[in-house]
Amino acid sequence: MIESIILWLFAISAAPFFSAMILKVKAFFGGRKGPPLLINYYTLIKLFKKGSVYSTSTTIMFKLGPIISLGSAITVLMFLPIAGQQAIFSFNGDIIFILYTMGLSRFFTIAAAMDTASPFEGMGAAREAYFPIICEAATFMIFILFYRLTGELQLSAYFSGDNTIALWNLAGAPLLFIIFSFFIILLTENSRVPADDPATHLELTMIHEVMVLDHSGPDLGLIELGSFCKLFFYSTIISRLILPFDLGFPGLAFVLYLLGLALVYIAVGVIESIIARYRMDAVPQFVLTSFALAFFATIITLEFIR
Amino acid sequence: MGQFFISILIILFGGFFSLILVRKAKFAKIITVFLLSIGCLSGLMDAVLNLIQPGIAGASFKYLNVFFLAFRMDGLSGFFLVVIFAVCLLATLYSFHYMEHSGNDVRTAVNYFFFSILIASMALVVTAANMITFMLFWEIMSLSSFFLVIYKHHKAESRKAGYLYFVFSHVGAMFIFVAFGIVYGYTGSFGFDAMGSLPETAKILVFIFSFVGFGSKAGVFPFHVWLPHAHPAAPSHISAVMSGVMIKIGIYGIIKMYVLLNFHTPIFGNIVIVAGVVSGILGVVYALGQHDLKRLLAYHSVENIGIILIGLGIGMIGVSSKNPLMAVLGFTGGLFHVLNHSIFKSLLFMGAGMVLHKTGTRSIDALGGLIKKMKITGTTFIIGSLAICGLPPFNGFVGEFFIYIGGFKGIALENSVFAASIFAIVSLAVIGGLALACFTKVVGVVFQGEPRTKAAVDVDEKGPTMLISMSILAGACILIGIFPQMIIWMPIKAVSALGLGYNPIDFESILQMTANITLAATIFLITLLPVIAIRWFFYRGKIIRRSGTWGCGFTQPTVKMQYTGSSYASFILDFFRPVAPLDEDHPKITGRFPLKTYYKSQVNDIAELNMKRVVVNPVLFLFDKLRWIQQGDIHLYIGYILLAIILLLVFI
Repeated sequence: MIESIILWLFAISAAPFFSAMILKVKAFFGGRKGPPLLINYYTLIKLFKKGSVYSTSTTIMFKLGPIISLGSAITVLMFLPIAGQQAIFSFNGDIIFILYTMGLSRFFTIAAAMDTASPFEGMGAAREAYFPIICEAATFMIFILFYRLTGELQLSAYFSGDNTIALWNLAGAPLLFIIFSFFIILLTENSRVPADDPATHLELTMIHEVMVLDHSGPDLGLIELGSFCKLFFYSTIISRLILPFDLGFPGLAFVLYLLGLALVYIAVGVIESIIARYRMDAVPQFVLTSFALAFFATIITLEFIR
Repeated sequence: MGQFFISILIILFGGFFSLILVRKAKFAKIITVFLLSIGCLSGLMDAVLNLIQPGIAGASFKYLNVFFLAFRMDGLSGFFLVVIFAVCLLATLYSFHYMEHSGNDVRTAVNYFFFSILIASMALVVTAANMITFMLFWEIMSLSSFFLVIYKHHKAESRKAGYLYFVFSHVGAMFIFVAFGIVYGYTGSFGFDAMGSLPETAKILVFIFSFVGFGSKAGVFPFHVWLPHAHPAAPSHISAVMSGVMIKIGIYGIIKMYVLLNFHTPIFGNIVIVAGVVSGILGVVYALGQHDLKRLLAYHSVENIGIILIGLGIGMIGVSSKNPLMAVLGFTGGLFHVLNHSIFKSLLFMGAGMVLHKTGTRSIDALGGLIKKMKITGTTFIIGSLAICGLPPFNGFVGEFFIYIGGFKGIALENSVFAASIFAIVSLAVIGGLALACFTKVVGVVFQGEPRTKAAVDVDEKGPTMLISMSILAGACILIGIFPQMIIWMPIKAVSALGLGYNPIDFESILQMTANITLAATIFLITLLPVIAIRWFFYRGKIIRRSGTWGCGFTQPTVKMQYTGSSYASFILDFFRPVAPLDEDHPKITGRFPLKTYYKSQVNDIAELNMKRVVVNPVLFLFDKLRWIQQGDIHLYIGYILLAIILLLVFI
């Protein structure tokens, strides 16, 4: 339990660091030196030092948005087994709670955006409401496969201890599909290229960034921290899926986990460097790919697992 | 059942007084609302007591010789009585200020009269113990609600809605008649209990006919066409009751028939799941495309009926595949969602009623920024929206959670059940996502941002009873969402009364699930505290200014530039274009100095489109050819009747 809580605190505090790795990779591909790896901490400190300007159109919903989005991101992390350790909390069906808590955070992020009466934020909100629908379906498809394999409906049953290895032994080939599918979900849910471009400078083409245009100071800091944690959540799952080994030495599992995390973040960075964002109407097809992959993986296991 | 009948009598008296005291309108309304509330409250208490101590109470009245009336109260009817009386109580309370300044005392009195009959007949339908009683009160229920729909009968729109509703409820009733007729043909009795002895093919036929009949009342796609017309036409407290309670009586009918037929085939479960998925997804897609707030909510009823049916379907498949836990979870989830939907949907309709009352418009795109002036309405509406999206920690989540877990139980079973379960789970996920998109649209466009037209500028919220009812319902949404174990025993009692071969129910494991929901909700709420503390800490003593919204460099924003509900939904509707064809009317902009232009769009309901093409036109054509039978001469008609009777006597 203590270890789990320490790992949870580690996750929240390390999330900004790993996100900076993406920037570093992008800078490398651009032939630049790039910002320091601690850049996100500096940004957060800067934001928390500032005051705020609120739009006259906004109400309490605008202030609730950042609170709920960070609150749900760190709640969700409590249910996640980090580095193969047990999660802080875990119960049968917790994945449903996790997905719907993320839905709650989406509701409030959108509501905060609509609160400003800005046409740009409305546009971003409409997109934010759309793409995750397919993501959710794909995520459920993945958990259907996991349930078929393990008969359990909690993240601990998939990602803690030897469970991930057991998954590989049961259905290794379909799991390769799942990793890709999950990676697509990661990119879409966290507004990365090619679904969205966090670094674009034209508001019309943004999804997530445009929704937080009016937030400033500590409020923006909470939102940023929340999105770092969200990315960390997905990355942790993929890291565990690609490096599920537990070689018996204490601490080695943790090192492997960090390695996996670094791989995921670097992969995100590489993708951002080598491909451009898709046109808006091509994004749904991209996201549907993840659903199709998960679906095929499940169908394949029908034959193998009785 | 004594207290039950006394409650019904009090309710009927209430309606009666509103008619005879029509000259003293103010006094009449106080008496009526008082009596209706007392009746509902007493009925509610009786129903809850009945659920706590499950026993089968019955009563029969043999005045009509063969066609005697019989009533019985078991766990299932007790559960539905709780829903009926609880929502009607709050709707009555709400109506007290809503019907103020209605401008026409007679109309108000008549409205209360039929309202009381509607409540009484709904309560009597769910306690009916034979077909005659059931159909009698079913028809009274349909007719009284018809008169409530045509409340504004001077408007052509209302009359059309009423007509549509009339046709649908009677065609639906015909289907139920056919189903009951088949049963009577085989058993020769009007009792419900003999239904189990039918041959299997007859059972399937009876189930399908009654499913269509009850489905048309419940608003199952494609028999839902009346629903988006009738709900907006009625006054808001009536919409709340119709959408929150009356359509659930159709669900009651489906469950009742399933139990009575006692035929555990996977066919029934699959039919119900497919109907549920189609209603669920299309309901919410059409809801997204609506511009009228109450119509949008009406389409959401179609969606939620879909979710309930998915739950029931999972339960039925659980029964047929002999998986007791899956069966119990599916039925419990479905019934729980019946209760939850009645709470948040009546809350949302009441909120919409308040908006309509104060702004005079139902058009979503004409509103905006209402939460600043209507704090309680806005807050309760947002709570209702969160609940209807099925988000934790609100009550909508609990029912869906059970349905999900039930569905996942099916994943581990053989392939046909596996396929149905995948279908159900993925659809539930999609429905949840679409509902979230739809309600962020409603909340964002109606309550947030800036007022788009003059109608939304000078508003206030008045009417204490309206605000109280909405606050109670919103409170219930949160309370049930965090502590579902307070309520969970009700659907469990109802499910155990169904007696589908899984008793005794493993109550412990269900309580464990509700405890988990409470735990998760508490964790989430506690996690918010440090976040709030951090926010407070960093804002301490800082300068906080207010200014205009950042327009991305544009300095002259107007309220017309805000994103509208139509544009918000257009992304998603594009994806569903094949099932939700969009009609657009937009003249091309030409010249260097374009003149004023407009844009109109309408999302068409394919059921409505095809109904006209496939059903209405052929029927009209046929009856046009039979026009010669109608001569307008009364003697001729008496002759027709005689001829029909003679023919019947000869052939049967």
